[in-house]
Amino acid sequence: MMSKVITGNEAVALGVKLSRVKVTGIYPITPQTYIIEELSEMKAKGELEAEIVRVESEHSAMAATFGAAVSGVRAYTATASQGLLYMHEMIWWVAGSRMPIVMTVGTRAVGAPWNIWNEHTDFMTERDSGWLMAFASTPQEAMDLTIQAFKITEDERVFLPMMVGMDGFILSHTKTRVYVPSQEEVDEFLPLRKQPYVLDPEDPVSMGNLFQPIDYMKFRESIHLAQINSKRVIEEIGKEYEKKINVLGNYSSLNESYKLDDADYAIVTMGAWSLDAMQAIDELRNEGLKVGLYRIRYVRPWDEEDIRKKLSNKDKVLVFDRSISFGRGGHLYLELKSTLPDIPIKGVISGLGGVSVGKDEMKFLIKKFAESNQVNEWFYPSEVEKVELRDPRHIK
Amino acid sequence: MSLGTRDILNKGRLLSGTSACPGCPENITMRLVSTALGKDAVFIVVAGCSSIIQGIGPNSVYNYPVLNIAFAAGPSAASGMARAFKMRGKKVKPVVWAGDGGTADIGFASLSGAAERNENILYICVDNEAYMNTGGHRSGSTPLGAKTPTTPAGKKENKKDLPLIMIAHHVPYVATASVGYPHDLMNKIAKAKDKDGFSYVQVLCPDPYGWLFDPSKTAELGKLAVQTCYWPLIEYNEGKLEISPESLHCLDIRTRKPVKEFLKMQGRYRNVPDETVKELEDYIDKMWIRFKELYEGKISI
Ligand code: SF4
Repeated sequence: MMSKVITGNEAVALGVKLSRVKVTGIYPITPQTYIIEELSEMKAKGELEAEIVRVESEHSAMAATFGAAVSGVRAYTATASQGLLYMHEMIWWVAGSRMPIVMTVGTRAVGAPWNIWNEHTDFMTERDSGWLMAFASTPQEAMDLTIQAFKITEDERVFLPMMVGMDGFILSHTKTRVYVPSQEEVDEFLPLRKQPYVLDPEDPVSMGNLFQPIDYMKFRESIHLAQINSKRVIEEIGKEYEKKINVLGNYSSLNESYKLDDADYAIVTMGAWSLDAMQAIDELRNEGLKVGLYRIRYVRPWDEEDIRKKLSNKDKVLVFDRSISFGRGGHLYLELKSTLPDIPIKGVISGLGGVSVGKDEMKFLIKKFAESNQVNEWFYPSEVEKVELRDPRHIK
Repeated sequence: MSLGTRDILNKGRLLSGTSACPGCPENITMRLVSTALGKDAVFIVVAGCSSIIQGIGPNSVYNYPVLNIAFAAGPSAASGMARAFKMRGKKVKPVVWAGDGGTADIGFASLSGAAERNENILYICVDNEAYMNTGGHRSGSTPLGAKTPTTPAGKKENKKDLPLIMIAHHVPYVATASVGYPHDLMNKIAKAKDKDGFSYVQVLCPDPYGWLFDPSKTAELGKLAVQTCYWPLIEYNEGKLEISPESLHCLDIRTRKPVKEFLKMQGRYRNVPDETVKELEDYIDKMWIRFKELYEGKISI
């Protein structure tokens, strides 16, 4: 293992190379473009032994990656925002086929209006598709989760694809120190892909054809059960990763806690701003406020048991969402509310479309919540509070 | 390739008991194509009648490997497959099987992309000139004047010139075929398979269900379409356009059978106004002027 100062995108590209991916279907979209540029660069230099299919759309990127996986090789792609939505149909097809594929989502707002900056709505809208969904909070974690994802998806107890989210620009473009394992270390952790079902001329099977309603429903149930069973697999593989590759990592549980055990209040976050939240918690603790953090790393599978265990003794819980299910609320808030029906939970939606929310804003919100319970569902940092929406309703 | 009808029946890799309509042209084409391709091929079947013809899973009448896939994904999935087989050091040809809706409309971007990249795949368009699997609705490949559930007064536009559009991609091989001429079809498929790069074959599939004719007449209509020069049999091989022997007579307007003979056998052209027939004839004339000039090397694409 050696350490490098690199961006999240570079870290992911390195993870993909180290995982010995054989085919990747690629299409550029901000902010993930740098991943596919890196892979192309590696291939041009002869460092990456893979076929790159430079397709004409994200729908095709997922289809090409799928075609490769069906033919028995390890396959990968990356996307974001409109691109993710454009490949939505194929995302379902891949999960329905129980095909191991790994994809990075450099999260970004979805238009209209155009916005290239970060939020999690694109990622969160795929949570019913059957994919496993992990979300990184640092470039290191983005790389670590990518390498683990191949092993998890290829485990016969799972056989489901997995997407790894990473905050657009905040993680994708920021350089930090990342510990990069050696090829030998990764090879030892991640053996070459074995797949029981491969499309091959020797074996005249038909995949994805029409089935009777009852069989279709059984397939659906099998995906549901594989999601639930994948929890144990993720923990197992996480532990192995900690032991063999990143001794500093903490992957033996799906989600992470920070100063939570003795806390009266808990906040829940996902992604890069979890680190701002941790700093806020440190400072609030110095001021005597007993608050802790629960960080969602896996949206699917949803670790209901652990969430109950860690949060059901708290006085109240505040959930930060960087995404919105219109007319209902933040996605994580809704999930938490249904997991912990007996605890007062509030949700805050912020940081959409790149609005910057840092340690100070978090501190302000948590304090207000702990002291008075008075937090608005939509939070704007103070300097932008006076911005008026110039929308058609204001045209006289 | 010299195969008699009996050989085709014996060697064909399509099992009996398909869910196709009687007289189904796709069924016949699948039998011919699978025979011509031999063993080293995998099929990618995009949404359409052929997704249903294979029967209910886990059983299948297709006695070769098939990946069924969403409408627009065929050529890109085949591209990924071709690359995967290359990485595995296996000589396997991915064959996309799509109807005209999948080809001319919803799948066109990914078809064009795969052609532009010259992927090592074979694309077969079984052109029955409408979305037959959903009820016979008009597609970009439905001809002028044809009545469909979404064009009850007859289609107002001409058929999309897919073979020419594909030739304009400068791929190694583009051909047209008709279910009425099985040997020509099989020869072309065999040639296309051996190309190291992208090849495209469009097969005219007269469809009793959507064109409204007696199911015993599928092959006859397939022949008439060629004899009346409504459907050209051509081959574009490594940059050179050839007219197949069955279509050579179309180069001279005097040796063509009247298009009306082809139209009058089909319910979808019942009571078609004379002006529409005239317009269709003009379209066919122009098509042949273009092919003639290409064939004689007077113009190039
Ligand atoms: S509608 Fe046409 S192509 Fe489809 S199964 Fe029936 S005859 Fe065959």
